[in-house]
Amino acid sequence: MPAAPLCAFTRTQKILVLSPDPELAALFAAAFTPAEAEVVVQTRGKGAIEALFTDPPDMLVVDAKLADIPGLDLVAMIKSENVYRQLPVALIMDESRLSPDIDWCAAEVDELLTRPMTAAMLRSRVTLALARATRSLDANPLTKLPGNTSIIGRIQDLIDRQEDFALAYADLDYFKSFNDKYGFSRGDEVLMMTARIIVNTVRAVGGPRAFVGHVGGDDFVYIMAIDRVEEACASVVASFDNIVPHFYDTEDRDRGFIQSVDREGNRRAFPLMAISIAVVFNRDGRLKHFGEASQTAMTLKKKAKENPKSCYVLDKRHG
Amino acid sequence: MAEDLRTERKGRILAVRDLPTLPKVLEEVSKLVERPDSTTEQVAKLISMDQVLSAKVLKMVNSPVYGFPGRISSIGHALVLLGFNVLRSIIVSTSVFEVMTENMVGLWEHSLGCAMACGSVARMLKLKDAEEYAVAGLLHDLGKVVATVQLPDLKSEIEQTVAERDISYLEAERAVMGFGHDRINAWLADHWKLPANIKEGLSYHHKPHLAQLYPEMACVVHIGDFMARVFEYGFSGDVGVNYLQPEALKILKIRPADFEKLLDELSDQFVELADLRFT
Repeated sequence: MPAAPLCAFTRTQKILVLSPDPELAALFAAAFTPAEAEVVVQTRGKGAIEALFTDPPDMLVVDAKLADIPGLDLVAMIKSENVYRQLPVALIMDESRLSPDIDWCAAEVDELLTRPMTAAMLRSRVTLALARATRSLDANPLTKLPGNTSIIGRIQDLIDRQEDFALAYADLDYFKSFNDKYGFSRGDEVLMMTARIIVNTVRAVGGPRAFVGHVGGDDFVYIMAIDRVEEACASVVASFDNIVPHFYDTEDRDRGFIQSVDREGNRRAFPLMAISIAVVFNRDGRLKHFGEASQTAMTLKKKAKENPKSCYVLDKRHG
Repeated sequence: MAEDLRTERKGRILAVRDLPTLPKVLEEVSKLVERPDSTTEQVAKLISMDQVLSAKVLKMVNSPVYGFPGRISSIGHALVLLGFNVLRSIIVSTSVFEVMTENMVGLWEHSLGCAMACGSVARMLKLKDAEEYAVAGLLHDLGKVVATVQLPDLKSEIEQTVAERDISYLEAERAVMGFGHDRINAWLADHWKLPANIKEGLSYHHKPHLAQLYPEMACVVHIGDFMARVFEYGFSGDVGVNYLQPEALKILKIRPADFEKLLDELSDQFVELADLRFT
């Protein structure tokens, strides 16, 4: 097995196993390399709870055979705390003990493992549960696009493999004043529209390997091939400028600006929203770390923002 | 008409799942979408010639799933937001008329002619987003298509009533179904969450002076409908020309000189349109 983390995780995954069963511990040892998962096995449930709360793992596996506390009670205790709700929890039990009396609708487990179990099956199910938890936790709740963890993971992965790529950061100018004037739900409409334009354009120009993420708010990211990125940027800018006026009320649209309140509380006129895009390139493995890419992008973004109209700025140094 | 019968028919109308279009149109659009070098503009231009595909595209992009219902009235914008992937699924889910009657082809041509005329009127008047007026013109008789598909048993009765009583198709619809295609248009526009300007054009094109929110849209579609009939392009279900509401000209501030200019311009365009063969 490779000495690398699982999936696109940037670090070793911590898995806490609460089970009196030495066979299960052995299966975990066979299923994962130490670089993939650091597996801690504790045989008692009650003693593990405090450690669990202060230093939560990436995944928790609870054995129904725990002697001191019923497995599902322990799961309920953890899941009732909002900060631990996203922790993926697997319950393991004997297949022969599965009965119609168990209320799975109320059981807040994310994965069920059954004995007899093999190392291969254990590896598959636990890996899937970890990846699924990351996906659903990370996805932007509005647009459902991958969020920060996936974005950083994707960029760092490309950097580590020294692949050439273009990384574009896009955000909206005057989005806040639009939100202030029209309210959050109208603002969400604009974000959904923007996401749709970026996804379609990037997929049409960049092909299936291109990636689009939603950092949050009005910040979006896309990654694609260097030679096609300018075409995609020009197309996103043109589509956005064509469509966004339709999200304003007719009077504001005809006027070409809206009256809203700025950060200091003064009433003033704001132009219609525009999209600014900054593009950073990684050629010949020049970038070493994700932070370099985002820092360069932020500098470029300032330049793009100087223009009140929609525009894109390419990193000249290696563009 | 008994209220429950009307409700039942409205239910059947809104339950419409698939609207068929002409085989040639569908074939052309599918071909274009499969070509890797096709642009959104090319595809939008082609779809803007077909009321059924246009209606489906607008219905899709304005559905709450995408998160901005009632905002998009332009086919070009809709395609940018939906993407070719979704468009392909719309094409796949569209059937063709198995039996092509002359009337179906006639209505298809009438709608296209009306769309073109609406676009010209809007451009002449320098109205913003002329394309949206063309879209409303294209869809103005959608209610007739939906009624034909969902209430097929009443279709021949309507046609018979038109012939026997020498009344307009709209009056015959009201006599037979209890409501006209303008009402069906309003139901569909609400049900599909189409933008308010399109809805008003669709539901008030026979009484444009009563439109409250977008009187200009309703008046333009009214005149476009009239023009398509004047130039005898296609067949709307009526022989001859409908009454041109003078208020429509007044609301749009169209002077007699403008009207003549419009007639000249349209006569050239209808000649060009007649060269197109989609059937």
